[in-house]
This record gives sequence, structure tokens and C-alpha cells, in this order.
Amino acid sequence: MTLTQRKVLRLALILSGAILLVVAGFGVHGATASASTLEAAMSGVGSEAVFVSAPPPVGQDTCLSCHINGENTNLWAPLGRWSVFGVFGLVFAFGVYRSASVWTQRKAWKPFWTRTVEWVDERYELSPMLSKLGAKPVPRFAMKWWYCLGGITAFLFVVQGITGIMLAFYYKPSAAEAYNSILFIENEVRFGAATRMIHHWAANGMIVMCIAHMLRVFIMGAYKKPRELNWVSGVLLLFLTLLFGFTGYLLPWDQRAYWATTVGTDIGGALPAIGNLILVFLRVGWDVSEATLGRFYGLHIIVTPLLTVGFMVAHFMMIRKLGVARPL
Amino acid sequence: MTTTQTTHPEGEKDSVPFFPNHFMTEFYVVIGIVVVVLIIGALGMLFPVGLQAPADPLDTPLHVKPEWYFLALYQLLKYVPPSVLGIEGPMLAVVMMVLAVMVVTIWPFLDKKEDSKKAMRIRAIGVVAFIILAIALTIIGEVS
Repeated sequence: MTLTQRKVLRLALILSGAILLVVAGFGVHGATASASTLEAAMSGVGSEAVFVSAPPPVGQDTCLSCHINGENTNLWAPLGRWSVFGVFGLVFAFGVYRSASVWTQRKAWKPFWTRTVEWVDERYELSPMLSKLGAKPVPRFAMKWWYCLGGITAFLFVVQGITGIMLAFYYKPSAAEAYNSILFIENEVRFGAATRMIHHWAANGMIVMCIAHMLRVFIMGAYKKPRELNWVSGVLLLFLTLLFGFTGYLLPWDQRAYWATTVGTDIGGALPAIGNLILVFLRVGWDVSEATLGRFYGLHIIVTPLLTVGFMVAHFMMIRKLGVARPL
Repeated sequence: MTTTQTTHPEGEKDSVPFFPNHFMTEFYVVIGIVVVVLIIGALGMLFPVGLQAPADPLDTPLHVKPEWYFLALYQLLKYVPPSVLGIEGPMLAVVMMVLAVMVVTIWPFLDKKEDSKKAMRIRAIGVVAFIILAIALTIIGEVS
């Protein structure tokens, strides 16, 4: 590994740590409510002031052990304490373990990472396979920006998966509660508005990138023999992406969602012979109702993701096998 | 890095090993997207996506529209006359669309000729025309 690569890996570690912090803080909701209760408690409103004592100095944490009692809903104070004091304890414990282990085993110390890799490799012999995968040559002509459109689509799918799971924790797929649960996500859930914004825009970005990737492949003739099935699986992935968008659009259950779904399913219903079948399958009846919401929710979070993952694996394995098409 | 380049099987000059060279390139791209995504998230906390009024089946809004990526198709449907040669117009248009989609899906099996610069140029022109048409229809659909 070169110095730059090491630097990038370090950057990645820091960045993933930051993302982990954000994700950890995500679930803690009711931040606004707890702030106002804290204010009320500090000003003495709503509580019977029996003991009169001097007010705490400005900026003083009024509760030093609340995170243990479960009264403190603020995540950052205990997290900060742990990261300051906990690190010293971990370093000390590690030092003790390392010294003792070197002394008892009479062997040079190996880092945990090396031990883990050796332990797994001794049993499953993964390293020949991995080095074979890693040694696969990538042609230099494929190092242009327009070759990474498909990869961006795939990564945005990962983003959609993560943010989608975060939203699904709070979303309620019923006509009575869907709208309010979105309001709850936007206003109460920590980073809820950010999560929804990312899910919203990454969805649009995924469709744009998917189409851009497809047009690139089309112009360059990369779909020609022997890559026909790659193209077919790619088109199916585009349909699945559009199905994602179509089913996800209804979930907020507001006027725009409701009527966009109505006209969208109407178009499917205009087909001869099978139109009514499609319409009834999508709407679960003749009009958009709560049953439609349930159907779209199931399609959006279970059926479509599973199909997409399946086709993506096939798509990638075919690329792996056949390599990147050489342009004219 | 020079050692890894000589150890990969083909040993070609015009290729790089997937790991670490190409992996690192992909990694930079991912970092870039993560940064953009986090910026979008931060913007979301300032300007949330928001909601319209709750769904009401009895109250049809004046301008009903599908999502933007279906808007071009939706707008195209509006231009179809109600009756073509005695057949219902919208039905015909939807059938045509489904057929077009099927043609796109099986396109590699229809275009089997050896590729040439000329064919590539024609495809590029076709794509540009398609993009212009789609954007125009989407904008018309958005403002109408």
C-alpha cells in the first residue's frame, strides 16, 4: 500500500466513524420535547420548589448521572464522556492483555486484525480466492468517468437501502397513520428530515444515473455479443428502479401521492385484455385505497429490493466474467 | 504498486489490477457520493421534503401529475387523439409504449451487426434526439 492509499483508508475510517455517530444518534427522538422540559425544570415551572438552593452556574450540566438513570435523552454528553474516559481504560486493558499474552506464550505479538484474518483463513482458505478476485485486470480504457455511472447507481441503491430501513422503523403503512408518521419522521425523529431528504433525492439520482448508464452503453454498443443478457438484466433493473419510484411515491399518503398513483395506475389500466387485471392487482380493488397502500408498501420494501439484489448480482457476475466492452 | 502490476496474470501494459488500483478509484467515487449525500441530508434538516395536504379521494386537484420520470410519457398520451382508425386512442398509445419497451429490452437480439463508427454515430444522434424530446415533454408537462 502506498502512502496515499493509507491516507485514504484513514480518511475512510474517520468518515465511517462520523457516519456511525450520526446513525447512532438517529434513533433518539423527542429532542425538542426534552429540551423544553429541561427548561421548565430549570425555571422551576411545573415542579414544586420545596428546597431552595443556589442555581447552578451558567453552562453547568444540571444532571451528571442522568444518562445512567435514563432521564437524559441527550446522546452527546454520555458519548463525549465515554470517548474521553473510555479510551484510556481500553488502552490500559489492552496493554495488560498484550503484556500478559506475550509473557505466557513466549511469542511475538500479532495485531488482532492479523490474528482474525489468519483464524478465518486457516479454516476457510479465502485468501487464494480473494487474491484471484483482486488480481483481475481492469483495462485502462475503462478508467474514464462515464464508466462509473453504473457503479454510482449501485452505490445509490445501497444508500437507498440504508435510509429506507431507517425510515421503515418509523413509517406506518395505514391510511390513518401514514401521513402522521411522515410528519413524525420530519419533526421528531433525530436526523429524520435528513434521512427522508437523502432517500428522496437519492431515488431521483438513482433513476438519472440508471438512464445515463443505459444511454452510455447504448451509444458505445457495449450491449453487442457476447453481452446481450447483460443488457436485458440492465433493462429489468431500470424497470425495478422505476417500480421503486412508483410504489414509494404513494407512501407519504398526501394529495400529490394519492393522485399521482391514481393517474399512474390508470395508464396501466388502459391496456387491452390485461389492463383491468393490472389495475386490480396494483390497487387491490377498483380505486386507490388503504389496501393499495399496503400493497405498494410490500412491493416497495420486500419484493422490489429482493428482485433488484438478485438481478444486480447477475449483472455484476456477467460483467466480471466478460469484462468491460472495448470501445471502437 | 509496481510489484502488484507485474504479478497479475496477463501482465498487460494497458490494464491495472482490480485491487488496489481500480478499487481505490471506485473508493474515491464512493467518498465523493457520500459527501454529496451528507450535504443533501444537512440541507434536508434546513428545508425538509415536506408534505401536501393529506390524501382525500373526494377532492381531485386541478393539475394531477405523475412523478417527473413518467411525466414525458404522460404528456405524450395527452397528444394522442381520442380515436385513431376506430380504435381507442389512449389504448393504442399505451400498447405502442409497451411494444417500444419490449423492443428496448430485446434490442441486442435485433441489432446483431458488427459495430462500426457510423452505427455508433447514428445511435449517438438518436440518443441526443431522445434526450431533447424527453426533456421538452417533461418541461411542457411540468408547466401545463
